[in-house]
Amino acid sequence: MTGDNQKWLKQNTFHHGEFWDILNLVKEKEKKGLTISLCIPTLNEEKTIGKEVLILKSELMERYPLIDEFAVIDSGSTDKTLEVARSYGADTYLASDILPEVGDKRGKGENLWKAIHQLKGDIICYVDADISNIHPRFVYGLVAPLIKKEEVQYVKAFYDRPLNYSSGLRSSGGGRVTEILIRPLFSLFYPELTNIIQPLSGEYAARREVLEVIPFPIGYGVETSHLLDLYEKFGIDAFAQTDLDRRVHRNQTTNALGKMSFGILQTFINRLHSQGMIDRIPDMETFYRRFEVEDGSYNQLVQEVVEEERPAMIEIEEYRNRTV
Amino acid sequence: MAKVIKMLETKSTEFDLNNLLKDLPTQIEKIREIRKLVLTDAVLLGEIPAPTFKEEDRIRLAVDRFRENGLEDPEIDDHGNASAILNGTEGKSSILVMAHADSVFDASTQHVLNVGPDAITGPGIADNAIGLATVVALPKLLELLDIQFKDDLIFLANTKSLGRGNLDGARYFLETMKRPIRAGICVEGASQGRLSYSGLGTLRGEIRLEVPSNYDWNRFGSSGAVSQLTRVVNQLLEIPLPKEPKTKMTLGGLSCGTTYNKTPRRGTLRFEITSEEDSVITELKQKVDDLCEQCSLENGTKVYLEVVATRPNCGIAFTHPLVKATRSIMSDLGVTPEVNPSTGDLNVLIEAGHPGVTLGLTTAENIGEENECIHLNSLPSGIAQLITLLQAIDQGLCES
Repeated sequence: MTGDNQKWLKQNTFHHGEFWDILNLVKEKEKKGLTISLCIPTLNEEKTIGKEVLILKSELMERYPLIDEFAVIDSGSTDKTLEVARSYGADTYLASDILPEVGDKRGKGENLWKAIHQLKGDIICYVDADISNIHPRFVYGLVAPLIKKEEVQYVKAFYDRPLNYSSGLRSSGGGRVTEILIRPLFSLFYPELTNIIQPLSGEYAARREVLEVIPFPIGYGVETSHLLDLYEKFGIDAFAQTDLDRRVHRNQTTNALGKMSFGILQTFINRLHSQGMIDRIPDMETFYRRFEVEDGSYNQLVQEVVEEERPAMIEIEEYRNRTV
Repeated sequence: MAKVIKMLETKSTEFDLNNLLKDLPTQIEKIREIRKLVLTDAVLLGEIPAPTFKEEDRIRLAVDRFRENGLEDPEIDDHGNASAILNGTEGKSSILVMAHADSVFDASTQHVLNVGPDAITGPGIADNAIGLATVVALPKLLELLDIQFKDDLIFLANTKSLGRGNLDGARYFLETMKRPIRAGICVEGASQGRLSYSGLGTLRGEIRLEVPSNYDWNRFGSSGAVSQLTRVVNQLLEIPLPKEPKTKMTLGGLSCGTTYNKTPRRGTLRFEITSEEDSVITELKQKVDDLCEQCSLENGTKVYLEVVATRPNCGIAFTHPLVKATRSIMSDLGVTPEVNPSTGDLNVLIEAGHPGVTLGLTTAENIGEENECIHLNSLPSGIAQLITLLQAIDQGLCES
């Protein structure tokens, strides 16, 4: 592991516990004249949206005014998502009603993108709607580095992610697409971005001025494209990440993960083209980078994986001359 | 003359209580507007596992909340109870509002609560996350409702209440607390209309059976723990129980064996005896002891009774002004009181010499199951009932 990577990890990786004093965050936010908007993108989330709105609004708007604006932006739910969200006081919007002149596309990225137009905050925090164990830390843990460190532009969440099985919690797992697809791709093409422990987490906060200068894929590729585009524009020092402990969420089928990977791969290859990386494939890295957590510290493990090849057997003279 | 004065005092008390009751509808509406305060605390507290003897994490949040809700110097005592005081304008005496912080669900249960528009569902929400949350949020609610008290209010989140806890948390708090207490209210999530003003004599025990390693499997009637415990159950059920005083034996749990094809050597039967007369409980305990000894000697196994919790009968009268005021408030809310003696914290409150009642806050379903559920519509009136009763106590309307 390089010294730069270690330094970045140390300086830009936080734990939500460092920001427990929400009142202090509010004071610092006000002192710096910042406003913060929270957006929850939804599509048929009636089971979890009530608790998210209740907890986040009550704790982070009413008890501690950390959040100035709170919106649920929906893709056209057919269940009671909007009714439940409204019953706990959320402002709700249909993505199709925002910027109608540009048309309507279905996907989470559409809601995130339109939130930039709809919401007024200097910082926008996005939190997925399917978190069963929602807690204020999912928001203050992400906006705090932006309040405290001016050089940070984009803060990503990472977790100990148990999967929600009917039989109970499993202590490890989750992030299969990250481990099987994203981390190998980043190791090959963007080694510095492997410092992001969970590049696909659906919770992140960013400054408006960086969100407004990048395109948004509307589907599965939105998180990946954010990282690639912001990395190209601002470098790794624009990022930070916060450990939010446990996140309980729905498990996805392998088929759904396959579909997700397909979408992400499209976004990734598009970025390789647009950033001129395709031509650099011969120079690609041979180090595979992954993480382990020990005693609360995050260590990047680097393994050299060189895929050597043998030629076709027919090219071997001994093979051609052998007596059968 | 004395009779006339007494009548005038009674009239005056009714007049004052009626004044409080007049405010109930407005208070309910205001509480409905700010109920999110309580619901948020119920979810945050309820999602922290707090099995009896392991309530520390939940108690830590309760203390933070007391502080955030404006109470100075909340404390955690040697038994892990969290308490805080809201000073009254006069502070001559105190009123205790308490809720147990422990839950029947162990830490391995997934403590995730689902919040719907009309209900919250999940393990322990009714017993007693919503009760605890109400006590914890009460200082803030009173501030928002602009209600002040002459008495000091003592808020208590008590530990070690359930099962083997044997009410030890509340008992310790009351033994060590030196302030004069005018009355106490135990707050339970379920069910609205619950009115307990007496503690029911109770014995909770476990009959443990162990087949020794040198057990003679060839002796007459030899058998494993399942068969022998079944025999104990049958013999327990044959013990006659008196109809008067009312007495009940509940066989609450049986654990024995782990597989299909192996004869188990150990087993435990959990049971409870409740009776309106302490001497009946003593007699029944003796019978259970005898039964265990007989079973041990006849079968060559070790059978013994371990008493895990006891409570004596105690209570205040149905006609006590505190009970009367509670009934009047319930009547005004259109709630029919469900009078049941308590086997919970109320016992130690009354045992310690303080008048008290247990109230339920809202309607609930599936209590004790992982899909335990509280209904939100009736919660504001349940909280208003609690606040109005506190006001009645504060105004001296519940003195005997």
